[in-house]
Amino acid sequence: MEFAKVTEFLTIDPATIVLTLCNTLILFLVLKHFLFDKVNKVIDDRQSEIAESYKNADEAQKKAESLAAEYDEKIGKAKEEGAEIVRAATVKAQNRSDEIIAEARAEAKGIVDNANSEIEREKKIAVNQIKDEIAEIAISAASAVAEKEISVKDNEKLIESFIDRVGEQ
Amino acid sequence: MDGIGQGAKVAFTLPIFGGIDITETIVIGWLIIVAVLLLCLFLTKGLSKVPTKKRQIVAEMFVGFVNNMVETTMGKKWKHYAPYIATLLVYAVLGALVSLLGLRSMTADFNVPLTWALMTFILITFYKIKSGGVLGYFKGFASPIFVMLPLNILSEVATPLSMAFRMFGNISGGAVITTLIYSALAGVSRLIHLAFEFGGIGINVAQLFIPAVLSIYFDLFSGCIQAYIFATLTMVYVSSADEG
Repeated sequence: MEFAKVTEFLTIDPATIVLTLCNTLILFLVLKHFLFDKVNKVIDDRQSEIAESYKNADEAQKKAESLAAEYDEKIGKAKEEGAEIVRAATVKAQNRSDEIIAEARAEAKGIVDNANSEIEREKKIAVNQIKDEIAEIAISAASAVAEKEISVKDNEKLIESFIDRVGEQ
Repeated sequence: MDGIGQGAKVAFTLPIFGGIDITETIVIGWLIIVAVLLLCLFLTKGLSKVPTKKRQIVAEMFVGFVNNMVETTMGKKWKHYAPYIATLLVYAVLGALVSLLGLRSMTADFNVPLTWALMTFILITFYKIKSGGVLGYFKGFASPIFVMLPLNILSEVATPLSMAFRMFGNISGGAVITTLIYSALAGVSRLIHLAFEFGGIGINVAQLFIPAVLSIYFDLFSGCIQAYIFATLTMVYVSSADEG
């Protein structure tokens, strides 16, 4: 490239100054608009997003902690309630079993008593029957032996004494 | 020996106002703007909240670096200054590093650092007037005693001038030294008969490696450190102007 002329080593050239000023301003606008504004925006966005997510994480943690405490409390209550229920049930069952046993005993006693009185009654009936039979046998035996008429009064006397002797034997 | 002690070449002349010379400084400035624009468009393509692409990480690293630098040097309320500081950094670094492509460093043209220093000066003045009022601003020159007036004015003017000359001196000085070394090494090559010529292209063997090592300092290191110094000074001056 052929140059028409060469400036001095150290000169002050108004045209160069003005144009350099324009160039500098243009470069400033280029850097500001195409680099700094864009990159700063991205960095700011990212920082606010990070701050936001940190905040959310903190909130979530707090919530989780309170929930855990709440659950612990609930579980403790449930355990207590369970123990209470078991205890009540045990007591109830004990009472019930005692009742049942007492009832059974009473029933058994009733049955035994009934049986005893029945036996007693049957025994009396049997004794009376035997007494009647023996009386008949004795009368017939006596009439057979004595072959003589005995008054009803004497008969009865004889029978009574006979029975009593038999009963004593 | 081309370029030693010379300023920027005039690339073309605009035929208005009796001809305005557009130097290669301006053309390189345009090239850098286009390159940065394309780079920005590439880096910020498909940005997402969760970065998946390497280029987004690169973009975020750069933005984060400048944001962090502005916040630590100027304070949180100056965060909106990050793009301007980034502009100074990017323009100064790339403007110096174009010398690696064989172009003339943009910041080796005194007009460029002077422009930026004037911008810084305007910002300083603006914030001084904003915080102390017009009266307070002029009173500030006579403090702590009236005798200090000339010295205060001098220091006020010296601030942008020193910034401009510091950057210009470092970068253009590096360029001059590099050129001198190249020509010296060409002479050395001729002396030890290691200079060849193939179809008009001269090859001086001594020029092959030594300039690369020096270039790391004069082009890479110096270019980056001057950009950093310029940006830092701008931040310090502007933020202290608002406080004072």
